[in-house]
Amino acid sequence: MYALGVDVGSASSKAVILDRNRKIVAAEVVQAGTGTTGPRRVMEQIFSKTGLHREDIVKLVATGYGRMRFEGADRQFSEISCHARGVHYLVPEARTILDIGGQDAKAIRLGNGGEVKQFFMNDKCAAGTGRFLEVMARVLETDLERMAALDTAADSPVSISSTCTVFAESEVISQLSHGASRENIIAGVHNSVAAKACGLVGRCGVEGTVVMTGGVAQNAGVVRAVSRELNREILVAPNPQTAGALGAALYAWDDARRERGDETG
Amino acid sequence: MRNVETILAQFKEIAANPRQAVADYRSETGKGAIGIMPIYAPEELVHATGYLPVGLWGGNQSINQARTYLPPFACSVMQQVMELECQGAFNDLAAVVFSVPCDTLKCMSQKWKGTSPVLVFTHPQNRGLESANRFLVEEYTRLQSRLEEITGVKISNAALENSIRVYNENRAALREFVRLAADYPQFVGAVSRHAVFKARQFMEKSRHTALVRELIGALTAQPLQPWSGKRVVVSGILLEPDGLLELFDELKLAIVDDDLAQESRQLRVDVQEGNEAPLYRLARVWQRMYGCSVATDTKKLRGKMLIEMAQKTGADAVIAAMMKFCDPEEWDYPIYFDELEKKGVRNLMIEVDQGATSFEQARTRLQSLAELL
Repeated sequence: MYALGVDVGSASSKAVILDRNRKIVAAEVVQAGTGTTGPRRVMEQIFSKTGLHREDIVKLVATGYGRMRFEGADRQFSEISCHARGVHYLVPEARTILDIGGQDAKAIRLGNGGEVKQFFMNDKCAAGTGRFLEVMARVLETDLERMAALDTAADSPVSISSTCTVFAESEVISQLSHGASRENIIAGVHNSVAAKACGLVGRCGVEGTVVMTGGVAQNAGVVRAVSRELNREILVAPNPQTAGALGAALYAWDDARRERGDETG
Repeated sequence: MRNVETILAQFKEIAANPRQAVADYRSETGKGAIGIMPIYAPEELVHATGYLPVGLWGGNQSINQARTYLPPFACSVMQQVMELECQGAFNDLAAVVFSVPCDTLKCMSQKWKGTSPVLVFTHPQNRGLESANRFLVEEYTRLQSRLEEITGVKISNAALENSIRVYNENRAALREFVRLAADYPQFVGAVSRHAVFKARQFMEKSRHTALVRELIGALTAQPLQPWSGKRVVVSGILLEPDGLLELFDELKLAIVDDDLAQESRQLRVDVQEGNEAPLYRLARVWQRMYGCSVATDTKKLRGKMLIEMAQKTGADAVIAAMMKFCDPEEWDYPIYFDELEKKGVRNLMIEVDQGATSFEQARTRLQSLAELL
């Protein structure tokens, strides 16, 4: 018995397969989200990697921004429920989740059993999300992977005060033209993302172990900045980008179990 | 007797065609319409002239010309009103009655782009003093004389008393409808419920009351059925457009009561009967208003009110429908949010933009709430 969760985000598509013992068989990511070939490719990729086929999957649950448009799902769950479920599976002691994805950020407060107690999402604009970092990486002639390493060399991070991504980009260009180092600007960008995301956490109420998920959690510079902003240690979920897909797979596993009873195989 | 569906269809038709409603009124009565800007106005005065009071609560169109006159952080209701002003949509109104309880309304009242005369009046900030009532009577007296000038109708005390009675009856009928809608979510979904309120803005109130009473009759003729979805209370300025309301229906979130400025806040306070002059009794309404972000509340009772509302209706959650860029509502939110949390009342905040065409983030938030209830 296999269950599959797929998380179709705005910037990437993720898929996770669980076996009958609720163990992760595979987790795949394609950096293309809803409305692109990403959802199809991530399915092809995970089936190719595992040698499984769609007919081997008893239940498939979709989540993420593109969940309603993903064809072939048995059910759809919201990203909030799926991230909570996925993180609780990976880090049972987690009580606060900060998920920063391509164009949204979410703060989720969990109860002792992993149930969602409260959540907040960003509104009005995408500042403080992965898209913000992408724009800044481009103007700084670097890539998302190298930003964390460059951040460690900062000695005097600049202040990025604009909330709007486009104006913040202008601010970065202005800082560059005034001779600020790329490292200090990147650290400033990370601080800016952290400040916005932590505003959500503040609204939600920070409690217990804080876990970061989403693509941006792979950027250690942002994680360090969030840690400083919240003044506490931050855990990064293993394979943070697939936490939502994992949660969806767990819902699919429950459904499969219900449908098949205790049947295994 | 007409069925619920047919009556609701009529409300929806009227709600979607305000221009037709005004034209019909004009052809039937020979009188025109007077615009009523949000949020509170003594509509009874306008009604007493025989003109049709028409609510100007925005729309759902793309914003183009309004950007010339408003900053992007003005709320969407004002953006929509400004766009319609620029298009000349309000030019056939005999006048526009304008209250100014928030900063954006203050500014809007001074830059009306249409051709209709704008009748601005001010609510007193301090609502605890008797002098505040006297101040508002003066404002209403001034408004009354401007209305008389424009319409050529002398507003007699008898006409005003009649209008007060018509409005009180309308509010009572709607309050009864709100209670019934909570019992019949299978018949009255979020979109339909809103249409009943929305149509109120474009109908002469005694006619609206008659239609609401007909709906109440048709509803009560139906057997009560168990509801498999969840029950929520909504709070905010308004909950539009229909695309957002459709999510409530799709996710089976029945609106069992509301604290929306466009809806039940308009029904909250009746004009009291008594021997005082009708203008004085109209003015007293403002002092007796409660639980609204634009009416100064030194005791901050909105949270308590929402908790009671949720308890009374057996609601599973309270949803804050936060009007984007509405600072009075944003200021209230942290206070009642804390109170709801302390009482263990499930709650959610969604952002409302009247001109929105995509509701994916709202869907995520509402679906998440439905999943965790």
